[in-house]
Amino acid sequence: MRIRTLTRPARFPATLESSGVAGEGPPTTVPKRSPHRSRRARSRDRLSRFTLFAAPGLLVYLALVLVPVCITIGYSFTNKNPFNPPTRWVGADNLTNLASDDEFLTALGNTVLVTVIVTIATNAGGLAIALLLDRRGWLYNVLRSVFFLPVVLSAVVVSVIWQAILVDDGLLNSMLRRLGTSNPPGWLSDPDLALYTVSWVIAWQGLGFCVVIYLAGLQGIPQELQEAASIDGCGPLMRFRHVTWPMLAPAVTINTVMSLIGGFKAYDQVQVLTNGGPGPGTTSTLAFEVVQTAFNGNHIGYASAMAVAMLVMVAVVSVIALGLLQKREVSS
Amino acid sequence: MNKPRAWLRPAAALLAGILFFLPIYLVLVNVFKDGSDIVSNPVGLPVPPTLDNIQSVLSRPDHLFWYGLMNSTEVTVISILIVTAISAMLGHYLARSNGVLAKVAMVTLLCGLMVPPAVILTPITEVLRTLGLMSTVPGLVLAYVGYYMPFGVFVFAGFAKTIPREIEEAAAIDGAGAFRAFWQVVFPLMRPASSSVLIFLGVWIWNDFLNPLIILGPAAGTTVTVGIYRSIGEHQADYGSVFALMFLATLPILVFFLVFQKQFVKGLTGGATKG
Repeated sequence: MRIRTLTRPARFPATLESSGVAGEGPPTTVPKRSPHRSRRARSRDRLSRFTLFAAPGLLVYLALVLVPVCITIGYSFTNKNPFNPPTRWVGADNLTNLASDDEFLTALGNTVLVTVIVTIATNAGGLAIALLLDRRGWLYNVLRSVFFLPVVLSAVVVSVIWQAILVDDGLLNSMLRRLGTSNPPGWLSDPDLALYTVSWVIAWQGLGFCVVIYLAGLQGIPQELQEAASIDGCGPLMRFRHVTWPMLAPAVTINTVMSLIGGFKAYDQVQVLTNGGPGPGTTSTLAFEVVQTAFNGNHIGYASAMAVAMLVMVAVVSVIALGLLQKREVSS
Repeated sequence: MNKPRAWLRPAAALLAGILFFLPIYLVLVNVFKDGSDIVSNPVGLPVPPTLDNIQSVLSRPDHLFWYGLMNSTEVTVISILIVTAISAMLGHYLARSNGVLAKVAMVTLLCGLMVPPAVILTPITEVLRTLGLMSTVPGLVLAYVGYYMPFGVFVFAGFAKTIPREIEEAAAIDGAGAFRAFWQVVFPLMRPASSSVLIFLGVWIWNDFLNPLIILGPAAGTTVTVGIYRSIGEHQADYGSVFALMFLATLPILVFFLVFQKQFVKGLTGGATKG
């Protein structure tokens, strides 16, 4: 009720202006608009608005994100280790050591591989499923929810489910044995296979996100465009190539950037599924390596250098991906 | 398209859906089977169903599930309410300010969207320790409020631009102070943005693993998500009770999701269709 009365003048701004502010209400209700207000009062008013509305959010963000980022950058130039004081300034030593640290380079390679696999798999799979589900009816509605369901599950829950299925004597292998496979693969215990298994689990969970985004993109394509292409003699493949695909550009951008950032952050699945193993670091990712080095190894300085490297990479990759993909959006 | 093959699409869609759903199906049926049945017949339906697994999780002597549920609920509810309130004010403020400083603040906040949690976790523990909040629920809440501030501001600032300024001016003319005008007039109008922020953060915070694992630590109890992780170490092969714990831990978020599914998807797809 109150809102309605307040919005009324806004709907008719012309009325508001022509009737004049001063003549409308009693002068005591509009002290803020008074021309006699001093400059100091106005700046005090602005300050109080800032304190009230902006300061709390900015302060928390400053204390728990910006300052920590700066601390991480600062630590990356030290040998900080709470169990091995004193902390010394070591300059760029950490960063140069990273360049020849096999563990770090393995984690970097793993992260890139996981990110690439997950980005391609969720985009290709998501687009295929979205094309399949782009119809009306209860069946398609139910299936949409089915594919989206893992997105709202915790990565820990998803990893535990897949672990139960994929461990050496898990549900999948016992079924394979019953079907006559004498030596089923060690999905999580074979060093050559485990990283792909981890990628598979991350992609399975992220697929639904891409499906929903692509479905929204597909539904945003005007039917007339498809019909016009048909009349011009385009078959289904040509229509996809020349109408659907270019029109999906914004959806591709969102999905790719989200998958890239998500892949770089991958942590939970690694810890639950393989704990970085089997063997030294075969499935360890950058995020996993940073946390292990900082909280298990207590090499805070060195871990901070890794974190800084990771931060720079995430920033560069997102900026490049965003730039390239948005160019495609504009040109298509 | 051509009639004889009209069954192909629903059939293919159904098959893909079934294959995709298999892992979740395995959890759902095995929650209601006892241990020996799970090993001998993992795929079959639970006949007759048993509630033993669920009962054993609910009546654990260490109350892992109940403490986890309490912690998760407390952390999630308090965090999403605070983030929504504070980021709505900040987002609206920044959307209405034209100054250089406001622009700088906005860009700085947006950069925060892509900071991976692992990068700032060590310093966060130090900041919280300085404040005396390490290993406490308020400490975890504070960490979330900071980390998710950019997302909230991003959503609210975008939405605030669609609200005509005249509404706020009208409220001011009617004698409302800036604070009252915001909460009684502007904030109710931003309901779609609020529901997006509440739903997304609700799911993310409930499901989060790394932050509660490190910030709460073993001393201050666990959230349900960390509880699941801790319980898989204890009884490796006892899938029945692990699945039951996961089932119970996921139930609240599942109900939440089913109730708000429409808004959730709407929030997600906001940017996917724009020109």
